[in-house]
Amino acid sequence: MFSPVRQAIKSRVSDSAITIDSLEKSFPETQRGWRAFLQPFSAPTLKAVRGISLQVKQGEAVALLGVNGAGKSTLLRILATLLLPGGGNAVVCGFDVAKEPAAVRRQLGYHAGSDTGFYARLTGEENLRFFGRLNHLSDSVLRARIPALAELFELEDSIRKQARTLSAGTVQRLSLVRAVLHQPKVLLLDEPTRSLDALGAADFRNFLKKEVLQKQGTSLLFASHTLPEIEYLADRVAILKEGQLVAVGTPAELKNQAGAETLEEAFASITGHSSRSLEETASS
Amino acid sequence: MMQALRDCLLFFQRDLRVASSYRGPFILEIIEALFGAATFYYVARFVDSPQLRESLPQGISYFAFSLVGFAFFDYLHAAVDSFDRSLEEARDTGTLEPLLVTQVSLPVVLMGSVLYPFTLTTLRVAVYLGWGGLLFGFPLRAANWMSALAVLVATVLSFAGLGVFSSAYLLLFKRGNPAKWLFLGVSSIVGGMLFPISVLPRWLQIVAHLNPVSYALDAMRAALLEGASLRAIAQPLLILLLFAVVLLPTSMLVFSWALERTKINGTLSHR
Repeated sequence: MFSPVRQAIKSRVSDSAITIDSLEKSFPETQRGWRAFLQPFSAPTLKAVRGISLQVKQGEAVALLGVNGAGKSTLLRILATLLLPGGGNAVVCGFDVAKEPAAVRRQLGYHAGSDTGFYARLTGEENLRFFGRLNHLSDSVLRARIPALAELFELEDSIRKQARTLSAGTVQRLSLVRAVLHQPKVLLLDEPTRSLDALGAADFRNFLKKEVLQKQGTSLLFASHTLPEIEYLADRVAILKEGQLVAVGTPAELKNQAGAETLEEAFASITGHSSRSLEETASS
Repeated sequence: MMQALRDCLLFFQRDLRVASSYRGPFILEIIEALFGAATFYYVARFVDSPQLRESLPQGISYFAFSLVGFAFFDYLHAAVDSFDRSLEEARDTGTLEPLLVTQVSLPVVLMGSVLYPFTLTTLRVAVYLGWGGLLFGFPLRAANWMSALAVLVATVLSFAGLGVFSSAYLLLFKRGNPAKWLFLGVSSIVGGMLFPISVLPRWLQIVAHLNPVSYALDAMRAALLEGASLRAIAQPLLILLLFAVVLLPTSMLVFSWALERTKINGTLSHR
């Protein structure tokens, strides 16, 4: 009678860290002129997420793959309680994102993919300490964790400098530290290595794989355009196209399904994009 | 409750650290307050007349009257402006979303963000009055400080609701609230900042009695200049608290609704 996803939501006890069921999200069209005044009350008509259902099991890493505008960031922002879904359900560790956002936030670490989001006049360490305390970490825990993570992310010197003096890549590393600082059960990362140099990105991937996924058993849902990163980190890949989930499976399953040699070819085949347009997407 | 207070203090510490990274401005503000107090002193000497003295409470100079009015009008500014400004800063620096995915509740984020501006305003008011007492004969010794503190708390609580309303508007429409400036403008006339409201036309006096600013200034002047006891200022104090009881929860509800709209429309971080 019920789908497995619905049953998981109803029971609140399941082995899934994230359960998304028939999720919908639309945005209103941008109004101009005097109508802009009515923008906050406009009906949402532009569909960004269309009936997505997906589960992420505890300790599992799932990648969201899709071209720009496919709905990856919107999906992550709904799970991070920064957007309200228009229909369907999304549940994180048994808590509904629309009805119990505070409880959801207690389980989450979120990185928005941007290289902003810090107080320019505070040092990196002061920023991390502030956000860590807002996540109710004690001073003693912060004193131990911030230097340890700073060393892992090669931020030992940078965290002593004001955030305004740091490069975009360094701020992004700081943002990733902020996301994992409180050792959340579920980690949502939007293009986590976008501004990182090749070595920094590789270090971060190793950290995610060994420390966060294997050691801490954190569940990870991340959006990325970097296919080797996806193949290295993800247990499964969810392919989105125009707000819809068009395929989900392990990288090997997706390649088999598409009869492709590489994940890139499989993605191109499943979504109907050419390889050239994919390269443009990855470089954008 | 204790956790919420601790979280609010974190915001205060953050703002203090940011402010202390800019050295100098606070010292300049102290000097600026000296010029402000001096200006009121000399204007008061210039405009002093028997007619003016008749309109003021007995034994109170126009200098003391206007200095209290001007200094405490700052609270209104701080209240309606601080919520907006902290929200705007969070949006512009990209810290709004990281704040909203932490474990602190929205009221704590809001209240915590205005703790420092309110403290700074209190210090500025103290400096104004301090210069007035030190150099220009402001009657500091007449004050009933317990009453003044009670009025201060009631004033902050009642004005804060106005600020939360204003930030709800900013959240929805992305621009500063024009009603805020209208309110500040009207309050500067009918609030009794520089002249007693008894000199206003009858209909403006009615408007004045609908405005919490006039009660706050009346009570503060009575406490500071006449040494009025808590019992003596009970009426304006209760009216201020009534404003707070109505405005604070209503404004929080409106803000929550505005936040929900931005989460529906996806405009939370839009400028």
